[in-house]
Amino acid sequence: MSLLIAAALCLVAVSGFLVVRSRDPNRQVFALAANGLVLSVLFFVLQAPDVGLSELAVNTVLTPLMFLVTLAAAAMNEARR
Amino acid sequence: MTVTWRLGLFAISLAVLVPALWHVAMALPAFGAPTEMYGAAVNAIIPAARHITNMVAAVNFDVRGFDTLGEECILVAAVTGTCVLLRGARGEDLTAEAGHLPDRPHVERSDAVVLVCRIGATVLLLFGVYMALHGTATPGGGFQGGVIAASSLMLIYLGEGYSPWRHVMHSWFLGALEGGGAFIFVAAAAIPLMLGYAVLQNILPYGQPKDLFAGGLMVVANFAVGLSVAGSFGQLMLEFMEETRSPEDDPIPDEED
Repeated sequence: MSLLIAAALCLVAVSGFLVVRSRDPNRQVFALAANGLVLSVLFFVLQAPDVGLSELAVNTVLTPLMFLVTLAAAAMNEARR
Repeated sequence: MTVTWRLGLFAISLAVLVPALWHVAMALPAFGAPTEMYGAAVNAIIPAARHITNMVAAVNFDVRGFDTLGEECILVAAVTGTCVLLRGARGEDLTAEAGHLPDRPHVERSDAVVLVCRIGATVLLLFGVYMALHGTATPGGGFQGGVIAASSLMLIYLGEGYSPWRHVMHSWFLGALEGGGAFIFVAAAAIPLMLGYAVLQNILPYGQPKDLFAGGLMVVANFAVGLSVAGSFGQLMLEFMEETRSPEDDPIPDEED
């Protein structure tokens, strides 16, 4: 069990670092989604499935989607000029 | 500010913060040590008093149910504000095509993607309803179920494309879900009040533990939150997606058309 927690924590650290390191916003959105997925795994491992489910739905599906749509809208505005 | 200055500042703050952090970290209770008296009290009292097995739902919809009512109102107000802000400049017209970048090629969806999205959207919608209904028995609940149901709407977009998706996403329907769910929740809080009890006091029978309808009013409130959250997030996605569509009066220069 503690091995699982340690593995999940390491994954969270690595994926969080990768979110910060990716410079292209489009890639960063997907890195953020992966980070959310890893975080929800961590919450499951720490026996907080309610929080894990919220994290999974909000941070891996909805937030990245809104970022993607916003980036697309911004790019289209740019192309219109 | 030069690099040397920044490094100097970094070194100074490191010298101050690391001992402080170390001091606080060493004073923390051991990892996983149960110290919360509140959690222990909830675990000891609620299962017998409320006949339900998910303590998180019991805390959210019974112990501090009034707070959850406030949170629900915040969600509805936030989504309403987003709609007013975004729709004000744009209107509610339907278009056949989503906007798209001029240099981005149109790629047809493969049949496999369409099939997977159709199956996935159906299963996900059912799973969201299941989760909202079973919030008092298993982990999850209204919020999680609502968000899962709303994400199935995005799978429809992924599989079918903009135009068919836009024709099944009716803003009035999503708005009715959002407002109707919030109304049911407010009614579940107000009816006990009018009968002379406290807000959200359970006036329905608790039922058998581990049963679908165990928990009485908590099941109603949970499902109402599920409806409202699904409607809210659906509405929010619709508004964001509409920001990308190409308005007729201001077309994007497009070589393919």
